[in-house]
Amino acid sequence: MQSSLVSFIQVLRTHDVRISPAETLDAVDVAATLGYSDRSLLRDGLAMTLAKTPEEEVIFMHCFERFFQQDLANFSASEIPATSMEEQGLSPPANAERLAADYTAAQIAALHLAAETNPTLQALLQSTLMQRLVGNVRTELTLAINQAAERVGLQQIQLFTQKGQFTRRILDAMGEETIRNAVISLEQAESPALAVLQRYRDILREQVRDYVEREYLLYAEGKTRQFMDDILSKTRLNNIEHIYLHKVQELIRKMAKKLASRHSRKRKLLKRGRLDMAKTLRKGIPNDGVMFNTYWRQVRKEKPQILAVCDVSGSVAAYAKFLLLFLYSLQDVLPKVRSFAFSSHLGEVSAYFDDYPVEKAIELVNWKYGGATDYGSSLMDFAKLAMDDINSNTTVIILGDARNNNGDPKLEILQSIYQRARQVIWLNPESRRAWGSGDSEMLRYQSACHFSAECNNLKQLERIVDQLLKSTR
Amino acid sequence: MHTQDFPQLASVEQIEQGFESYGYICSRKIATAVFLAFQLRKPVLVEGPPGVGKTELAKTIALLLDIPLIRLQCYEGLDEAKALYEWKYGKQLLYTQVLKEKLGDLLQGAQGLAESVAKLHEFGDIFYSEEFLEPRPLLKAMQQEKGAILLIDEVDKSDYEFESLLLEILSDYQISIPEIGTVKARTTPMVFLTSNNTRDISDALKRRCLHLYIPFPTVELEERIIRSRVPDVDEQLRHQLVEFVHSLRQLDLKKVPAISETIDWARSLLLLHAQQLDEELVRSTLNVLLKYEEDIESTESELRALVRDRLVNRQAT
Repeated sequence: MQSSLVSFIQVLRTHDVRISPAETLDAVDVAATLGYSDRSLLRDGLAMTLAKTPEEEVIFMHCFERFFQQDLANFSASEIPATSMEEQGLSPPANAERLAADYTAAQIAALHLAAETNPTLQALLQSTLMQRLVGNVRTELTLAINQAAERVGLQQIQLFTQKGQFTRRILDAMGEETIRNAVISLEQAESPALAVLQRYRDILREQVRDYVEREYLLYAEGKTRQFMDDILSKTRLNNIEHIYLHKVQELIRKMAKKLASRHSRKRKLLKRGRLDMAKTLRKGIPNDGVMFNTYWRQVRKEKPQILAVCDVSGSVAAYAKFLLLFLYSLQDVLPKVRSFAFSSHLGEVSAYFDDYPVEKAIELVNWKYGGATDYGSSLMDFAKLAMDDINSNTTVIILGDARNNNGDPKLEILQSIYQRARQVIWLNPESRRAWGSGDSEMLRYQSACHFSAECNNLKQLERIVDQLLKSTR
Repeated sequence: MHTQDFPQLASVEQIEQGFESYGYICSRKIATAVFLAFQLRKPVLVEGPPGVGKTELAKTIALLLDIPLIRLQCYEGLDEAKALYEWKYGKQLLYTQVLKEKLGDLLQGAQGLAESVAKLHEFGDIFYSEEFLEPRPLLKAMQQEKGAILLIDEVDKSDYEFESLLLEILSDYQISIPEIGTVKARTTPMVFLTSNNTRDISDALKRRCLHLYIPFPTVELEERIIRSRVPDVDEQLRHQLVEFVHSLRQLDLKKVPAISETIDWARSLLLLHAQQLDEELVRSTLNVLLKYEEDIESTESELRALVRDRLVNRQAT
């Protein structure tokens, strides 16, 4: 039972419920305390240790039901063809049950009759698999499917394309081959029992197919999603297909949230800390050394500020969309971020991000500031808007390809920013090799940056921003 | 805390019954959480909308076990000086002043400064000993002889720093005081943390706790709660008022009425000698259930339909 608890936790993990080894131990404790006899009690108890949010609890309940539900559908009574009832002219509900029994018995008799002349079928009827099928022993059949699935390693299933393959393997492991052979021999003999045997074969196949389907949902659904997320976060941003945009949005939001929860702490200017002994003594001197008042050490915390400047011109259009998205999420989660966008001229866009939902805000920014690039005049605009605010607590992030259409780069402005700010960071979507080629001014701008990096997929973006936030503390 | 000391917590059913005798009607899930918390000695993080009885849960357990309830209300800026312990600075200063004269006697016969200092060293850190320690709720809970219920209320209102402070206490039930050393709990207290989800609690804290989410109760459960809390309301009115509150919860409101509001409302209806709900009565007492003017306004327009639905339902059944 413990191993099945562990594999249940495995399943939860693939469904994005984060469970640490310590929580696994807790879950084992819970199961030991509550016992396995009361299903709903155990479920509630496990939910308390394994699911940590209401959302996770929903996922947990869902997985619990699926994982610990192992019944197969009852397939004997429901399989009677409707025509046979009409033939006998009986009212269905009243006699259905008796009829079903009669019908099954008749079929089994037909099979045995055919078996007398057919040795293959004779052997088949003796096999445990067929006996279970004919006898409708569902629990044993379920067990057999479970065991077969374990033998072929169904838990390794990852992609939906593997479903057929695994169904086949399980059927083989259960010895479905003998049924197939019997069907062929009956076909050759043109026996009337052929239809009956075919039906049993189909039932078995269907059960296994259902089983595989269910297990796939349990094990692989999460894996496929993780796989997709992984691939997306490593793809160059401008190569990501349009249809995946919404997925990326989700990813970016997740990432920004992760970064924020790691870095966004409320800062207070003053805080009553420890007693300032020296000051208390000093202030006591006028009172003849009697210390009437106590004085406290005050803690001063810095308030970091981030100014983010994003190029939205045509040359980086595909890329800029993601960066704006990222800026949007960042502004959502960090208190002091001011965002600017530019191509030929520059303006502050923080207000758009505050007032509109993300799609609308990005659209507005693109519409207002999109066009041909002019770094020189944009830097001038930036200096006008924000230079006074830049001090030793400010981090300036510039996102752009530094392709200036051979205009004046106005390097001196960036240099004065460099001298004032705590950090100037330039993230360039182009690969390092292309820096400085053609109209790229990157190498010159680089001289006025504390840090410059190539950044064209989400992984890199996350890593860089993470470092950056750490250093702005 | 051991099972033999507290037979009230021996099984889930017993907990349910015990709670009921103190007027706290709970779902089986809540009783399971309490049982597990007691058996596994783990803190419980209770989440849920305001007014579903998170704080009440801790109070009831304290009543049931007849041990003290120590409550720490969290707020922004709460720090260890207010939550854990503080030195009695005033007392320390006063004692130094009073004992000043004694110094002469003590240092009698000492030759030179070095010898005097050496003599003073013999007295050790008297001013940083337990006598000068002011215990705050967390330390107080550790010091209780018979164990205690520690309620850390609205932990989401505190700062992240404070959460880290809780980690040592919640996993090992001990507190490190640099001047004295580690103080271990005499008897492990039962710890309840409540949160209204105004911000995410850190994973480290969540990992150490059992997680209990208390949603709004079902109609049946809420009726039982009202019956136990306001027993004088007759059955027909009780059914109507609970149904009405449930239909209010379906509306898009700024603050939906919780159990505590339902109880208040039932009490006010009782005071008004109401026999059954009608539109006028509901309109005049709506401010008990809804706490925002805009909520009241938006509900008033739908009031007629809501009340009629309840009455029709009742006649049909």
